[in-house]
Amino acid sequence: MSSANTILRARSACLGFERPVLGPLSLEVPAGARWALTGPNGIGKSLLLKAVTGQARVHGGQLELAPETRTSLLAQNHPRRQPWPLSGHDWFRAMGAQTPEQSRIRALMDQRLDRLSGGQWQLLRLAAALTNCKGLGPARRLILLDEPANHLDAEVRHDAIELIAALPGESTLLMTSHDDDFLRAAGVQDHPLAEYLHDR
Amino acid sequence: MTGDLLLVPFVAGLLVTGVLALAGAGLFLRGSVWQALALGQWAAAGGVLASVLHWPVLAVALLLGAGVMALLQRSADRERLPLAVFLAGLAAVTLLAANFSQASLAAAAWAEGQLYFTGPAELWAVAILGVASLILWPGLRRVWLYAQIAPDVSAAPPPAPWLRLVEIAWLVAAIVLGSMVLGLPAALATLLLPAWGAAHLAHNLRSLLLWALAIALAGFLIAWALSLPLDQPFAPVLVLVHTGLALLARLGVRAWV
Repeated sequence: MSSANTILRARSACLGFERPVLGPLSLEVPAGARWALTGPNGIGKSLLLKAVTGQARVHGGQLELAPETRTSLLAQNHPRRQPWPLSGHDWFRAMGAQTPEQSRIRALMDQRLDRLSGGQWQLLRLAAALTNCKGLGPARRLILLDEPANHLDAEVRHDAIELIAALPGESTLLMTSHDDDFLRAAGVQDHPLAEYLHDR
Repeated sequence: MTGDLLLVPFVAGLLVTGVLALAGAGLFLRGSVWQALALGQWAAAGGVLASVLHWPVLAVALLLGAGVMALLQRSADRERLPLAVFLAGLAAVTLLAANFSQASLAAAAWAEGQLYFTGPAELWAVAILGVASLILWPGLRRVWLYAQIAPDVSAAPPPAPWLRLVEIAWLVAAIVLGSMVLGLPAALATLLLPAWGAAHLAHNLRSLLLWALAIALAGFLIAWALSLPLDQPFAPVLVLVHTGLALLARLGVRAWV
């Protein structure tokens, strides 16, 4: 890492699954930042998040995390099996997350995951992604949210924004979204991904 | 009820039923039903082969079962490859049975089950597996829960690789011993059907396990109580009872919801 304050750095990184489809890409995300990667569908926002977690490959260049950084990801979709006999408590245990304080989320904890509405399921996942890894200092945490506003109905949208806004200042947030109102309300900075792509 | 002669088979059957119910809950959460079929069939093939070669049955069955599991773990295909491996195992048993008289007897024993002839050696093996299951339970629960979160990613460290290996070894031991004691179809029924029924009744992981245990043990006791006085083979009766109980659980929930 060139800067001690950088938590994620891409240097001419070419990313993809079987073959490179995004890049070269160069960017530096400062620790404690609240970034929203924006851009049209298919530009590679989700792919970048997956490459950070190791779910997609780095075919060229470099993609580096600061030492001892722990990453969590809220994927764009998480299809639920039917039947799926797990509760909200089980999900938080699986994610290594703390039981949330918000009453609306606590009310979901005893319910079966396959019987939650789409919005409730998204809110529960979001809360777990934001609070997992108990005991880890927030400065070492990079939280990746891929379209967190998806599936959120009016009832739970405000809770989701509150959760994001309540993140400790030292933790870093990198998210994607097409929902400008949501991004504004959550207080994240708009960073068009296209600005970080360059010619070979 | 059982008399001294049937006490050992009864206790061994009850214990292995509990272990299979626990394993079934794990397999249900992992979505690995076809793997269980393939593993069980090759354990049976190992048992039949051992009878032809006069080798120790449990060791050969465990070895082949572990080999199959190792092969299946290397592939992301959770349906077609396990099904192909299962069919190959079925073909291997049929060919062995067609060519060797001992194999024919052994194949019949694996298919019908040998519960009434279970001896102290099998009881000890099942008891050790039962104790190991209790000790391993927290680790198994962690592995199964962690397997649920993809495609999300947790910042918490994943279960250690050795814990995953222990889970696989435990699963192999449960299916092989279960198949030896109850017979392959009965072991697979105990493995798959109570967990399926329980998945409709449970409201969390803990109750999934408890319901799976309750349904599996109830099924064993009902099958035991029916097959002895009616002079019927135990394994097919157990399969039918488990099928009935699982459907009852499914229909019960549908009527209730």
